[in-house]
Amino acid sequence: MTRWAADLALGVRLSVGGGRSGWVRLGLIAAGVGLGVTMLLVAAALPAVLDARADRADARWVETQQTVDAGAPTVLTAPVRSVYHDAAVEGRLLQPESPDAPLPPGVDRQLAPGEIVLSPALDRLLASNDGAALRGRWGEEVVGLIAPEGLTGPGELTFYLGTDELTPDTADRLQTFGAPRGDAEAMSPVLVLLALVGMVVLLLPVGIFVSTAVRFGSEGRDRRLAALRLVGADAAMTRRVAAGETLAGAVLGLGLGALLFALVSRVAGSLVPGNLSFYPQDFRPVPWLVGLVVLLVPVTTVLVTLAALRQVVVEPLGVVRRSGERRRRLWWRLVVPAAGVVLLHPLVTGLDASAGTQVMIVAGLVLLLTGVALVLPWLVEATVHRLGPGGVAWDLAVRRLQLDSGTAVRAVSGIAVSVAGLVALQGIVGAIGALTAETTADTTTYQASVLDIDADADEVAAWTRELSAARGVTDVGTLTSLAAEPAGGGALGPDEVILESGPCAVLAQEAQVGACTDGDVFVVVPDGAAAPPAGSAYVLDGGGSAPWTLPASTRSADPAPGTVAVMDGGGPARILVTPGALAGVRPEVMAVTAYVALDPAVPDALDLMRTAAAQVDPRAYAASIEARGIATALGGIRQVLLVGTVALLVLIGASMLVNVVEQLRERRRLLAVLVAFGTRRRTLSASVLLQVAVPVALGLLLAVATGSVLALGLQVAVEAPLSFDWAGVGTTAGVAALVVLLTTAAGLPLLWRLTRPEGLRSE
Amino acid sequence: MATEPLLVAENLHLRFGTTVALDSASVAVHAGEVLALMGPSGSGKSTLLHCLAGILHPDAGRVTYAGRDLTAMHDSERSALRRTELGLVFQFGQLVPELTCLENVALPLRLNGAPRRAALRSAAAWLERLEVSDVAGKRPGQVSGGQGQRVAVARSLVTRPRVVFADEPTGALDSLNGERVMQLFVAAARETGAAVVLVTHEARVAAYSDHEAVVRDGRVRTMEHVR
Repeated sequence: MTRWAADLALGVRLSVGGGRSGWVRLGLIAAGVGLGVTMLLVAAALPAVLDARADRADARWVETQQTVDAGAPTVLTAPVRSVYHDAAVEGRLLQPESPDAPLPPGVDRQLAPGEIVLSPALDRLLASNDGAALRGRWGEEVVGLIAPEGLTGPGELTFYLGTDELTPDTADRLQTFGAPRGDAEAMSPVLVLLALVGMVVLLLPVGIFVSTAVRFGSEGRDRRLAALRLVGADAAMTRRVAAGETLAGAVLGLGLGALLFALVSRVAGSLVPGNLSFYPQDFRPVPWLVGLVVLLVPVTTVLVTLAALRQVVVEPLGVVRRSGERRRRLWWRLVVPAAGVVLLHPLVTGLDASAGTQVMIVAGLVLLLTGVALVLPWLVEATVHRLGPGGVAWDLAVRRLQLDSGTAVRAVSGIAVSVAGLVALQGIVGAIGALTAETTADTTTYQASVLDIDADADEVAAWTRELSAARGVTDVGTLTSLAAEPAGGGALGPDEVILESGPCAVLAQEAQVGACTDGDVFVVVPDGAAAPPAGSAYVLDGGGSAPWTLPASTRSADPAPGTVAVMDGGGPARILVTPGALAGVRPEVMAVTAYVALDPAVPDALDLMRTAAAQVDPRAYAASIEARGIATALGGIRQVLLVGTVALLVLIGASMLVNVVEQLRERRRLLAVLVAFGTRRRTLSASVLLQVAVPVALGLLLAVATGSVLALGLQVAVEAPLSFDWAGVGTTAGVAALVVLLTTAAGLPLLWRLTRPEGLRSE
Repeated sequence: MATEPLLVAENLHLRFGTTVALDSASVAVHAGEVLALMGPSGSGKSTLLHCLAGILHPDAGRVTYAGRDLTAMHDSERSALRRTELGLVFQFGQLVPELTCLENVALPLRLNGAPRRAALRSAAAWLERLEVSDVAGKRPGQVSGGQGQRVAVARSLVTRPRVVFADEPTGALDSLNGERVMQLFVAAARETGAAVVLVTHEARVAAYSDHEAVVRDGRVRTMEHVR
């Protein structure tokens, strides 16, 4: 044991004892490991962030149909959904029924009608120039701010608005705020799948980067080990000394990672979208995960070092590398991704949210993406041995890769794995987006709509008037859903219909009505539904007057692209009626949708219209027709994905830079000699870039192929239409290649410095 | 020798930080002659060689090559000169490890823009001349030190330079191999008419020179005619 400790200590001593160059090497290892540790600590902090946000969301959760004790103080409340500049603003109407009515967390006083308390982010937005079109949407009487305990995060846009217009029929009556949201907020299997893929994609490359970093300066270390062998160290001792050297870098990397994490935690909250924001105190790594990182990183680095030492024979008179002549074999490298494909079979056979399926999918993804890192060395080796001669820079690069492609491939494999994962992720996000936002609705006449208008026939006119008065609104058309009962009594059966009335322009939003004049009637029959026969009679006013009859001139029409009937398939038949066809009948209105035409020349016309709608009824939901149907969760995931991708690209870039610096340092004397011969620096620079570019190109090729296949599998899993986003894939691969080449180019000034004639001096 | 010297260093001064490497060092080399720079470790002989080859730029003083002031030239001009008219041999060969020996020898020609095939043909001829044709297809890591050094000599001569600079060319070889390398090197250089500036601390190596200069504390102390 003492012997072991002494050998490890000697390794640590050697790692810091090499003078300036020794410290630089140690610094490079620490930087590589540190960057990886930072990413791992960020991942370890995510559960705490989610828990903290969930706790605060639970504390203000409104449990509908709450049992209220007799005589208990209560409040009526109703949700308000709104959007401003694509950001969701979700608030709540409060109508206390007694002075001691329950208050939501973060609110310290009862609100009188018209009084509003805002989240600080919403307050800032309203006070800024950006918030001009939002001002007045819910009144101006701001009486306070919501405290942090009432918000999921500092960037959340939310409010509580006092009102006196709620009734128990239109609102929830509460005795207390707060309840576990439970299954109501459980993620769907699709989102779970997304989260799993995202986690694997963002974290797996970190492991590869860390294992690459600990091999920095291995040639110099091998020479030191040979010197130790010369003075009597046996092979086992040299391995322990090497482990000691690596441990020093890993421990330093852990420290550096902790430091970087401390810096990242200050800004992390501001990097995510407002509705996913969190407080700095939420961003605390889970202790047991920290313990795992602290334990696993050094252990992994030592294992990587020992595995790398198996490739060399350290003898007293020098180091012999075994990899030189032995060709890499493909078959065992294919076993790992093949096992991954087998484990991913639930994607095709059926997805559920069970823990077993999740484990299988994570394991499958890890194996498949690890397979990219395993197959890439073979691919690069097999390819570069087939590359022919070219210019001097090309020859120097290709020959270098033929002699030892391992170093370059190690640097690139992390990038390849990242890109493969990102391509897959992009595929699934794009497919889900297409699934939920399949909106090709006609926006030539109307560009926005106001849904959930609770109005009677008289109020419809008022709505039309108020919306028309908003700046930027050029036209308003309403579609009214009518109460219809079959004449002769009885409820609407399996052949039930929806009757809706509106002018031709509005009906065109719902169905492909073609030529239409007032007095026309159309019937829209989804697949599988029965069409009501002409002559069917309906009572439209709840009884009393003569029934309305479906005229013989009724034409059938296909649903308009982007409508609910198209998206969902099936559903009841819809009868679309122009006002002229209802002459003499005063129907009872069930609900109203207003279609709004906006003046494109007026900036923020959509938000000005939303504000006008909210002033009539805050509960009405106004939205752009184009945006209708896009899942907001997906928007958030996209932004988080973007932040993760940027973080990964920064890691790729930093790792690549460190790698290039390390490789140049290892070869500085040779480079100086080449310059002494008169080799142009641009030849050397081109050679260095080509040494990176060739493996990167092959890595990206492999990554795009694997990622695309994986994306197709994931699309099958979420039952999305199979599609391939070439532009997205090209952008991802292109940006990754650009980051790599730019960071490599950023290392070239060092090349020029290293190739100064002083590099030849040995004294 | 009545002709003008091909290469002249006059009053060269160079410091590395606080260390004085050259202190008013002067030396001259004529076309076709072999000059040995001798001296103990750290005396400044390699630094003087690097200044003569235009690799290092002195703080003061002047190096003139064929009437052209090397110290006034831009780095790219000096690099071009090293590609075309000067050759270099180092103690450990310093061959590019990923290229074969044949490709290593052809490299200076290719850097000069020679077509690949022509460069390889010339390189093969030089390997034969240095008696190492058998290692043409091998990489430097696969050949012995003596063979590698002969490949390095071939590389330094392949462009038919007017001056070859050799920094301890046999320092890493045993005496037998060192002798053979020097015989082949000097014979080939004389045959092509190249001048040789040789840094060594071995008398047996210096014996191949026409002149000897002793460098001590950055100064060229004496200059003797050996032959």
